[in-house]
Amino acid sequence: MSAGPLAIPSVAARRGAARMSAVSLALWTVRFLVVALVVAGTIGTILKDRYTTAQWFEFVLFGLTIGSLYAQVALGYTMVYGVLRLINFAHGDIMMCGAFAGYFVATPLENSGFLEVHPVLGMAAILAAGMVVSGVIAVLTERIAYRPFRRVQGFAPLICAFGVSFFLEQTFRGLFGSSVKSYPAPKWEGVEFHWAGLSVPGVDLLVIVLAVAFMAVLYLIVQKTRMGMAMRAVSEDGEAAALMGVDVGKVIVFTFALGGAMAGIAGVFYAFLFKQVYFYMGFTPGIKAFGGAVLGGIGSVPGAMLGGFFLGLVESVGPSLFLDGIGIKAPYELRDVIAYTLMILVLVFRPQGILGEHMAKKRA
Amino acid sequence: MKTLTKAATTGLLFGVGGVYLALVGLLEMMQARPIVFGAVNLGQAVLALLALACGAVAARDAGPAFARAGAGLLGGLLAGALMALLQVIVATVPLQGMFIAASPALRNMLAFGFAPGPGALAMLLGGGIGGLAGAVLAVSVPSLRRAIVAGAAAVVIAGVFQELIQLMIQYEGIIGWIRDFVYTWQGLRPQGAVAIFVIAGGTSLVLSHRSSAGHVPSPDQRRRRRFISAGVALLVLVLMPLLAGAYIGEVLMLVGLYILMGMGLNLEVGLAGLLDLGFVAFFAVGAYTTALLMSGSSIGLLHLSYWEAMPIAVLVSILGGVLFGLPVLGVRGDYLAVATLGLGEIVRIVVLSDFAAPLLGGPQGVLDIPKPSIGSFELGSPVKLFYLTLVCAGVAAFIAWRLENSRLGRAWEALRDDEDVAQALGVNLIRSKLLAYGLGAAFAGLGGSIFATMLGSVYPSSFQLLISINVLALIIVGGMGSLPGVVLGAIALIGLPELLREFGEYRYLFYGAALIVMMRWKPEGLWPSEVRSRELHAAAGEAEPVAAMEPG
Amino acid sequence: MKTKLLVACFGLALLAGAWWPGPARAATSGPVTDPLGVIRIPKGAPIVIGGYWVLSGPDTALGLDEKRAVEVAIHDIGGNLLGHPIEFQAEDDQCDAEGGQTAATKLASIPNMVIVLGPACSSAATPAAPILWQAGIVDIGTACTAPSLTAPDRKATYDGFVRTVFSDNDQGAFDAHYIYDVLKLKTAVAVHDGSPYAEQLAHVFAGAFTQLGGKVLSIEAVSPTEVDMHPVLTRIASEKPDVIYMPIFVAASAQILRQAKEIPGLQHALIYGGASLMAPDMIEAAGPAVVGFHIGYPDVSPTSMGKTYPKLVSEYTKMFGEAPISGFHANAYDGATLAFKAIAAVAKTDSAGSLYIGRKALRDAVFATTFDGTSGPIACDQYGECAKFKGAVFEYTNADPKTFKIGVNPKKIWP
Repeated sequence: MSAGPLAIPSVAARRGAARMSAVSLALWTVRFLVVALVVAGTIGTILKDRYTTAQWFEFVLFGLTIGSLYAQVALGYTMVYGVLRLINFAHGDIMMCGAFAGYFVATPLENSGFLEVHPVLGMAAILAAGMVVSGVIAVLTERIAYRPFRRVQGFAPLICAFGVSFFLEQTFRGLFGSSVKSYPAPKWEGVEFHWAGLSVPGVDLLVIVLAVAFMAVLYLIVQKTRMGMAMRAVSEDGEAAALMGVDVGKVIVFTFALGGAMAGIAGVFYAFLFKQVYFYMGFTPGIKAFGGAVLGGIGSVPGAMLGGFFLGLVESVGPSLFLDGIGIKAPYELRDVIAYTLMILVLVFRPQGILGEHMAKKRA
Repeated sequence: MKTLTKAATTGLLFGVGGVYLALVGLLEMMQARPIVFGAVNLGQAVLALLALACGAVAARDAGPAFARAGAGLLGGLLAGALMALLQVIVATVPLQGMFIAASPALRNMLAFGFAPGPGALAMLLGGGIGGLAGAVLAVSVPSLRRAIVAGAAAVVIAGVFQELIQLMIQYEGIIGWIRDFVYTWQGLRPQGAVAIFVIAGGTSLVLSHRSSAGHVPSPDQRRRRRFISAGVALLVLVLMPLLAGAYIGEVLMLVGLYILMGMGLNLEVGLAGLLDLGFVAFFAVGAYTTALLMSGSSIGLLHLSYWEAMPIAVLVSILGGVLFGLPVLGVRGDYLAVATLGLGEIVRIVVLSDFAAPLLGGPQGVLDIPKPSIGSFELGSPVKLFYLTLVCAGVAAFIAWRLENSRLGRAWEALRDDEDVAQALGVNLIRSKLLAYGLGAAFAGLGGSIFATMLGSVYPSSFQLLISINVLALIIVGGMGSLPGVVLGAIALIGLPELLREFGEYRYLFYGAALIVMMRWKPEGLWPSEVRSRELHAAAGEAEPVAAMEPG
Repeated sequence: MKTKLLVACFGLALLAGAWWPGPARAATSGPVTDPLGVIRIPKGAPIVIGGYWVLSGPDTALGLDEKRAVEVAIHDIGGNLLGHPIEFQAEDDQCDAEGGQTAATKLASIPNMVIVLGPACSSAATPAAPILWQAGIVDIGTACTAPSLTAPDRKATYDGFVRTVFSDNDQGAFDAHYIYDVLKLKTAVAVHDGSPYAEQLAHVFAGAFTQLGGKVLSIEAVSPTEVDMHPVLTRIASEKPDVIYMPIFVAASAQILRQAKEIPGLQHALIYGGASLMAPDMIEAAGPAVVGFHIGYPDVSPTSMGKTYPKLVSEYTKMFGEAPISGFHANAYDGATLAFKAIAAVAKTDSAGSLYIGRKALRDAVFATTFDGTSGPIACDQYGECAKFKGAVFEYTNADPKTFKIGVNPKKIWP
């Protein structure tokens, strides 16, 4: 796509360059304003001295916990975008499917007392249900809604993704009702760890550790297996990969299955942490996770993980750190504003994200 | 053997489809909707349609007539078997703890009111008969088949939309007599259904007879025909609210607003190729500017009249568009979509927040916005405002149409096709992009301005991401870059769901399914602009061999 | 040529639009004369009753709950009124202004629409009620609690609007009184979720609490779909309030309840919720954290009134396969009952069996009808406020959703 060498320095282009400096002045102003706001807010907050160290620690911990979920969902976005150049807007809803599957396994397990006695086995069963259902639905989605567009340029696939998102949400609403379902809370999850005056809820720790473990496994799959290598090849250059004998169709299905399974795990964790399962639960986290993927550099697997964690952290710490200091009322109402602003800033100033390098160049 | 497998697969697929409709709660909901009062309801009609379609599909390419009939029968039986199985399961296992639609009422419906055993048998038989009938229909003479389908479709439409149709024919005299012949209070009369079936079927027969004798129309004729039909459609759009009353007027008003916004977004996406998912932000800017300038409540700033407030709102929207466009000048494609999506959400959250509440009213919104008036004549009702919207949409269409063929329009098209090449050719990227954002925002702001005065109150909850998605979807479903496409898209995606209001939440299910189906079968849109469809077909032709290389 | 045609069409249509006739007015039909028109329902024809609530989107449960309660009310009177079947037609208002306007326009355009119930959201009621009243149709709001809807200075276009739910003003003042005067708690943080209802109530409470002498440390906001409340709660903890006042909806408040237990410094703060949290759903969503949770709610304890409430819940559960899914079903049930009683009071039958209802007479009858409803006594004042707020404070005592029973769990603790 890139036509860099074609750009002959004509008169028009040179005049354009002069105006470009006006634009870059505007961009610099934006940068300056954002930095000034953050610095002023931070200084203000520090001067107010409102929070204790333990409270700051909590902000960070909670941010990392939710960030680990964003990271898992972001992985699916990033992998699908890598192989298909498609923003799969329904990916958040695929997470919701996993949460529902987990719920329908977890509830009888808890009611029969199994989950209390065998936490590891029980959790494994719940996670497996979430993974399988989400994975299967992701693959079906690909088969029915996205496959026809594999070669179509333009915005049709994006619209189709919105269609899938509506369809999944409403299907689950129709099947299981619109009320908020409560995830069971086994007794062992109430464990807390204390260390140097700080307390860490066991669930948070469990979720972070397991999420990181699953992501490490996924990373190994992408890096070391044949299928993972094929996937990376397709992300790199689909046509070349096809010419080299890579079965592109199979790779795409594999990508959806892998991303779906990861989203299923995230869905189970999400429900486990926040105890709520309902049909609309996936949409907002989905969009934010996409922000995480962008942040880390879309197409980059470690980038998505990093971006997700970072987004969670900023969302959790940001309102107290920057907004409080400049005297904004009810700062947590604006936490999504911070997330979206961060995303836009990254897109404007560093479209390749934190870790993405070549991907973005090819895309832009 | 292959025929058999195909018939069986088809039957199972349709059976799964039926089970899905049942468990998702649609069948039960449709059951409450009579088509022919006291005789047939929508739920039964859908079941019958499933069986018929199953038979027809199973019988396709099955060779000789008797084989087709057999395939249809098998498909129908299998689909019926699945539905019967569902009914028996619902009857014996307490499923409702999980699937809320698996109620006794659903079981009763699936068993046609019989006990589980006989009910299952009835469903099996019904499926078989339906499948067979579908297969027979599929092999029958095309003109006859078309006539039957047309007749049945007309009955279903007349029955399902009976309420709206009855609203439109509230007259005495001959129309009243026809109405009373066809309808009762609650729905279609059997005699009315028969009459409609005969008339629609007969018309179809006559038409197909005539067209088979005729000739293939030339492209030139086709184009003329298209314009004539567009003119007729427009005339209907203009006269409709007068004939059909306030509710249709209200629906058309919304359609008009979306047409207006669609025209704006069409400049950005369709012509300049700038994918914008934050379009609702400018809509909000227009609405809030108008509201704050006009409102009589304590939050109102100037208490202007509408004709003073509207131009200011449009100017502010343009300013907003340009300001927003500046930082994202260098962002392209899908990235731009995400950046703009974020922007739209930011605007909504800020409008909602306590932080901006002293100025914008927060969740309580801005109330007490007067209606526009010309002299002493107040544009109070939705129907009157609809004409205002239509006039604005007309002006917008005119501007869009002139722009399309202007220097700027061609610059945008170059931009859309390849930014780097466009720049190399001397297109001023910055100016053309900012103009696209600004003009797009102007239309959205105008829409927002009308929206504010239409409702008399503005709340932040009206500016959801869904609006941006709707506007984008309607121009893509209508056909990107095509002005009639915008109108068609707005009618299909905004008007139709409004008419399906009583299906409540399910209309988003239909909406989602419709987007997927539409994009699958007609990605270029309902009324593609000629350039676009040529491009798409060229691209598809190119892609075919590559796609064929991939197994599966 | 095309352009000219267009212009001609617009001009023509604009002219025609200007002549569009207004709504029907004073009329005599059968035995009834009424300044706003008379509805004639032939023998055997249905009495058409409309309704509009939020039936799609994230707030579906709120509206669906009320729609179902009306269906229970219709079922309870056997589906018939004065020998005519009741036809109930519900529309979706999407809980926003444009949805309310569309729904109201549709309901108003149905000939013979007798009365309309709903909505749940004040933002939908604000544009909708005047549209309905312009067509001579009374609207009985079932959960829209914005004070402006029944304020003494409301415009004449709202004359046809009443509601069987109390105003935020009463609720907020009551809650402040209980917390400050009875519990003697002096500092509070109010939390709202950006919905007009919660934001209004949070501010009304804050005003009343400050006036009594208490200190409102801050008013915080969350989004209704927010799940991770830890950061905002940590922020609240830094202010060390005695009370967290949160008149928000089930999903978000359950999160706050659960997560507040994990935040150091908040374990002992009293959490106090609003009427929308009186539902078995609340227990299920909040789990064990629900125990000790206080809510302000109309006094419907058996001693005071509301013997019919448990019957409503059991009937509802039987009809819809799940217990009530949100907080205002009792108000909606009472709204339907009010409608039936008023219709029965003014409808006249002629010798041919046709029913006649005068629109103005129906409006006046609605304002004049009084009865003991499931949510409390119903009697409208001249501005359409029919629910007298007689408050009570309830406390959840058991985390098992099956034990939900108003007066038992949650138990009435004051007065």
